[in-house]
Amino acid sequence: MRELELIERYATSAPIAKWLGFSATMSDGGAVFTLSFDERHIGNKLIRALHGGAIAAFLEFSAQATLYARLGGDCEITTINSDTDYLKSAKAQDMKARVNVLRLGRRLAFMEAKGWQKDETTPVAVARFRFRLGDMEK
Amino acid sequence: MTTSPPSVDINPAVGAMLKTARDWLLTEHALFQTLDLKPLLIGRNKATFSVFLPDDFCDARGKVHGALLTLIMDSIFGLAAFTALDELKPVATINLRSDYLGDIDPGGRVICAAECTELRGDIAHVAGQLSDAATNRPIATGAGAFIIGSRSPGRESRL
Repeated sequence: MRELELIERYATSAPIAKWLGFSATMSDGGAVFTLSFDERHIGNKLIRALHGGAIAAFLEFSAQATLYARLGGDCEITTINSDTDYLKSAKAQDMKARVNVLRLGRRLAFMEAKGWQKDETTPVAVARFRFRLGDMEK
Repeated sequence: MTTSPPSVDINPAVGAMLKTARDWLLTEHALFQTLDLKPLLIGRNKATFSVFLPDDFCDARGKVHGALLTLIMDSIFGLAAFTALDELKPVATINLRSDYLGDIDPGGRVICAAECTELRGDIAHVAGQLSDAATNRPIATGAGAFIIGSRSPGRESRL
């Protein structure tokens, strides 16, 4: 199954994807993910900025969807931890993201995601994730 | 120089602002209405809330997605940073690390307890944890840094 189909399958299976307004397209450099802006994503109405948690959620889900597709849609994925850096205020607009796989091992995956709005070269947030692959009890 | 916030009552002006913010969050803000935030403790350097876990934030297994836990910690940690201030200033997240310790089903509540452990100049360090309100089981821990007095609305940078 193609990567985009697997990403879409993963998104369809998780209610949080609907809350995020999550979608993906393919470009020359791989998958590009989109958070479709909605008022529910606003953190502070006074400054009309995206909630930092919504940004972190979008980046984490993008990384998980990338991993799911990379593993052929046949692996349990558990997030161990995440680190998100907020580089600048994110406006009340759509957000894009691209994910980079740093290392994909048998039990662990290390990923990073970069999110931007206006221009990919000026990201609004970057995040690192560590995932446990497969059954954690084994 | 390190300037730890003194352990005294919350600044009255900040307290009044927090009360206004709480009322606004509970009545006007769609996201926080969904999460049904209930304050359990708001004091100098501390904020503890009970938070509902709706179905909307589930992962493919039907468990609460970890990203919601990060979203909750980002909100309550920012509030804890705010309680450490002596005057009203905006607070913005610089970074947040989340460790996910266990799964939790939707439909219940978590307790998010946050403490501003240090206020060094215009940087607040906050740490805290989430636990299952029904069993007290730890669900996640977090630690973050927040900048105080970020630029006014309309400016692009949050730093």
